[in-house]
Amino acid sequence: MRLREIINLTTAADRVLLFFLIIATSFSFSFVRHVFPKGTEVEVKVDGRIAYRLPIDVDRIVSVKGPLGVTHIEIKNNKVRAIDAPCENKLCVRQGWIDRGSIICVPNRVIVSVTGGNSKKDGLDAITE
Amino acid sequence: MPSPNSPLTGPLPLSKEKLRNIIALLSAYALCLYGLETLIPSPIPWLRLGLANIITLITISLYGFRAAMMVTLIRIFVGSIFRGTFLGPAFILSLGGGVFSTIVMGITWRFLGCFGPVGISLIGSYAHNLAQLFLAYILFIRRIEAVALIAPIILLLGTVTGTFNGMVCGILLRDLKSLGSSISFQGKAP
Repeated sequence: MRLREIINLTTAADRVLLFFLIIATSFSFSFVRHVFPKGTEVEVKVDGRIAYRLPIDVDRIVSVKGPLGVTHIEIKNNKVRAIDAPCENKLCVRQGWIDRGSIICVPNRVIVSVTGGNSKKDGLDAITE
Repeated sequence: MPSPNSPLTGPLPLSKEKLRNIIALLSAYALCLYGLETLIPSPIPWLRLGLANIITLITISLYGFRAAMMVTLIRIFVGSIFRGTFLGPAFILSLGGGVFSTIVMGITWRFLGCFGPVGISLIGSYAHNLAQLFLAYILFIRRIEAVALIAPIILLLGTVTGTFNGMVCGILLRDLKSLGSSISFQGKAP
């Protein structure tokens, strides 16, 4: 199969769409990094409840128990990662070190998020009811 | 309607019984690809090839939207039972993504004739990923920044796999079409 033939199978609209989507997704990387800056705190949630809230600049290893088993989480050099998890696909482990955003293990219901820091500025100061 | 130079053709005239057999066959193909895909170790998390989407797109263009939805639903239900994820979180994400992307691809194929297989596959891939991200946010994560930070990676990977699947689909459809015109099918259309 020659490349020319494959390109001939696409319509003009296909090519415009592909071009547009590549540009848009590339921009969304820097956009997202800009909107959600680095955090200062690591929050570990299991099944919706907060299990740990730790500063990100203190190195340590914690273990939390989810429905499937124990997930080990390591904090080191202002970054956090999942060392080991009992789930099937181990997406959380393969995600590696993060310094913003979250590591989510849906099967074991564990969410590790980096929160706080500059992002607090845009948040609410208080809520009254 | 698809434009004349588009490799996508309209639904073929078929009896109800024959269509049922074809849906079963296509579902089997989709399940095979789905099973094969889970065996391939992916170097990057969230990289799903979405090979079953090729079958969905081919079904839409050859047998129409309803047949494609049927194939997608059979693939997701039976596939999840094989994998042991039936009614689990992965199943909900898979169902939401699959159904939504099939609907969007069906609409695109029916009403936006300017797109070929690659365009429709790309649109389907985005629909699939966005539906999954939305469902994951609503049901499991509830943290907008977590979803937003992984969204660009997932969407970019989806662009690559969507383009690839669309090309495979385009080649398949072209060859099926030339096969259909060179070999006369036995029996008349009802």
